Amino acid sequence: MAYTFSVDFDPANPDLTSDSETQNDIFIAAFNSGDGELFNSLYRDDSISNFSGEPLTGAARLAFFKEFLGTKPDLRASITHAYVAGDVALIGVNYEIDTTGPDGEPVQLRGVCTDVLRRGDDGRWLMSIDRPVAATGLVAD
Amino acid sequence: MSQLTDDVEKHTSQYVEAFNAGDFETVDSFYTAEAVAVWEPGKPLTGDARREYQREFLKNRPTMTAVPRQTFVTNDTALLIVDWTIDTVDADGKPERLQGTGVDVLRLGEDKVWRYAVDDPYGQA
Repeated sequence: MAYTFSVDFDPANPDLTSDSETQNDIFIAAFNSGDGELFNSLYRDDSISNFSGEPLTGAARLAFFKEFLGTKPDLRASITHAYVAGDVALIGVNYEIDTTGPDGEPVQLRGVCTDVLRRGDDGRWLMSIDRPVAATGLVAD
Repeated sequence: MSQLTDDVEKHTSQYVEAFNAGDFETVDSFYTAEAVAVWEPGKPLTGDARREYQREFLKNRPTMTAVPRQTFVTNDTALLIVDWTIDTVDADGKPERLQGTGVDVLRLGEDKVWRYAVDDPYGQA
């Protein structure tokens, strides 16, 4: 893989860990790689992503990630809170995404996102549900 | 049942019923053993601290309304966004209304019962 991860990360066997700052670093690096398949590997098969404005899972989620990340949007995010309860975790982030609109003009998406993570039977932590609420741009509800 | 989407109104109403009855043991059974509750923003509680806070809170016999606004359900994990109000009394015994939009994470147990893993009543920014 040509992508640079500032944290220990195996793209062939992703693990977001239970540490919220590590989760954030990996999430940002995978997002900014522009590789929709790599980013999708941070999610479980049945995970729900609301980035598109609709709850997507499975093949529809992968197709959206490939399209959305294909233009190499730039994500910045910071953790606002994190709670770990056994094999499930809830984290909150503030995010900003610089991307391009349909006419090629620069567009900035900003807001807050609620993420649910799960530790699987193999011990790896992955995304289970994301729910961005945008101040501008993509909206979950 | 794993079809929480179909049951979420019922699940929430059963919780509210136990809460409004002041029934601590039943309310507590709606939480996983490792559940985290953030009834005061920035102060997550778990284990015995969570239980004691809940037990004390219910002693004032608060009454709750809760309306699920959004529900996202995977095979064994769910996220609920819930608009709620609680009528209780403050430290001086005067009526007090609390309200917010909660973020609840639920886990499906091996016994096929959904329970709160994270209860963050002021979690919706």
